[in-house]
Amino acid sequence: MTAQYIFNGFVSGMILALPAVALTLIYGILKFPNFASGAMLTVGAYLALIFNVYLGMPLLWAAIIGSLIFALIAVGIDQAVFRQLRERTAITLLVCSMGVSFVLENIARFIFGNGARSYDLAIARPKHFFGLRINNEQIITAATAVAAMIVVYFILRHTALGRAMRAVADNPSLAAVRGVRRESIVRWTWAITGTLTAVAGVLAGMDRAIDPLLGWNYIVSTFAAAILGGLGNPVGAVIGALTVGVVEETSTLFIPPNYRQVVSFLAIALLLILRPQGLLGAAKIKK
Amino acid sequence: MVSYLVTILSLVAIISILGLALNLQWGLCGMVNFGIAGFFALGAYTAALVDLAGAGTLVATVAAAAVCGIACALVALVSLRLSDEYLAILTLGFGEVVRLVVLNEEWLTHGSLGLPGIPRPFWGLIPEEQYEYWFLGMLGGVILLLFLALEKLLRSPFGRAIRAVREDDVVAATLGKDVVKLRVKVFALGGVIIGIAGAFHSFYMTYIDPSQFSAILTAYVFMAVIAGGRASNSGLLLGSVGLMAVIEGTRFLKDIFNIFDATQLSAIRLILIGLGLILLLIFRPQGCFAEYRLKIKKPEKEPRKASVQTETRTT
Repeated sequence: MTAQYIFNGFVSGMILALPAVALTLIYGILKFPNFASGAMLTVGAYLALIFNVYLGMPLLWAAIIGSLIFALIAVGIDQAVFRQLRERTAITLLVCSMGVSFVLENIARFIFGNGARSYDLAIARPKHFFGLRINNEQIITAATAVAAMIVVYFILRHTALGRAMRAVADNPSLAAVRGVRRESIVRWTWAITGTLTAVAGVLAGMDRAIDPLLGWNYIVSTFAAAILGGLGNPVGAVIGALTVGVVEETSTLFIPPNYRQVVSFLAIALLLILRPQGLLGAAKIKK
Repeated sequence: MVSYLVTILSLVAIISILGLALNLQWGLCGMVNFGIAGFFALGAYTAALVDLAGAGTLVATVAAAAVCGIACALVALVSLRLSDEYLAILTLGFGEVVRLVVLNEEWLTHGSLGLPGIPRPFWGLIPEEQYEYWFLGMLGGVILLLFLALEKLLRSPFGRAIRAVREDDVVAATLGKDVVKLRVKVFALGGVIIGIAGAFHSFYMTYIDPSQFSAILTAYVFMAVIAGGRASNSGLLLGSVGLMAVIEGTRFLKDIFNIFDATQLSAIRLILIGLGLILLLIFRPQGCFAEYRLKIKKPEKEPRKASVQTETRTT
């Protein structure tokens, strides 16, 4: 029984890992927590819905096309909004990302209304392994999330782009001196962020109903995951997300399931009191 | 039409009080509060519950102010060792926690059904048909008092100290200011004001439910503060009136575009608010009114002194 909860928590943690990594990448490069993360997830889910339900594509293709389009949208948002604010403080960017969040969420609401929708997906019988009940969506979720994480890890560790991204995150001026073009790195980061968040939107939409507040339900948990891993640390964000997923899910054994986000909030608060640099983050001396 | 205007003005007055609080926390001290809707709900529910228990509206207001002040102080304390981004995340999280508790603790808050029949201040002393006007007057009085108090605070040594903390907390600390204490104090004081706004919201509506405290409210308040100019209280009041024009203006869109339903209209309104926020931050981050600064008096303005100076020079 407890094993089932832990397993379910692991899978929901995997959904959480994608926006948490996205959040942490943007934080690394642009140094602000992106409050539009939730609304981006929502729009990603709706984009796939358009291709899946209205154009009759299989969900896999709908998700791929939807997330690629959303990658472009994310770059577009950066060019239109965040680029104008590059030299401003983190707080300005953060308030601005709240504005972006309202616009995105309400474009979805304007087009699709407040009603809940769901993907056109064949329902499969759940499988049983070692006493665990595993349904089809969970297998898809786990496979997609793991694949996405491997791709992101490969990009960050083994490509020129990844090296440049890490360089800019670490020391923008030094990276500029070495000839790294910051603007192009920022664009690529937004493209990766957009893709990851939109994929997470599809996974979230498979897990629960799609409505304009879909992403909002994940926002506190996403921040909890990213902070747990030490903001700016992608591997930490993945571990943080899995931890948050398992803790939230097992907490429903003791408290009503509606209070999952409260558990995340308390986790953030406790962590910030005891270990502000995150579980994995190194203690740094700041200005 | 007049009663409609009074209703709108009362709502704007409550948003203005929230705006004054945000202006203190964010404008003056640089501490972002994304949980305004949550703290506001906390104040409103505290006031409503105390009021419904029969303690009277004054006790209810004080209780709401105290609870919100303490909640804000605690949230500020948690993030004291960290940069401002963490405070923003914490306040957002706190807002969500309040929303979830209000929705789920039905024994206390009746969940989504809400709390009806909240007693109003001075009810019975004033003829019922005039009550709305009196209440608006009372709100005006509260705003005036808060405004004067905050303007006084802004120009006091305490006000200069917290602005120093906003600009550079390291320098402020070097100058011997207790940064942590100042930040917690300011955030708590903002909480007290939010609590008062919550109490008046409860009294005004006489019925509260969770849908009245959505994130939209936070956006409205931010919009009012940014439009008016951060750290300028008079700008803020103007900002909230301008905001009212936008919100109410979009209400009339319904007559022009019959094709949109209520959900779509509220979506349009929020898209406009979001766009407004973004455009203001890009093109006019200082808002319409500049922040108060100490001015150096120019010598030309005082001809007598000037003549004395010339005399001394000639001799």
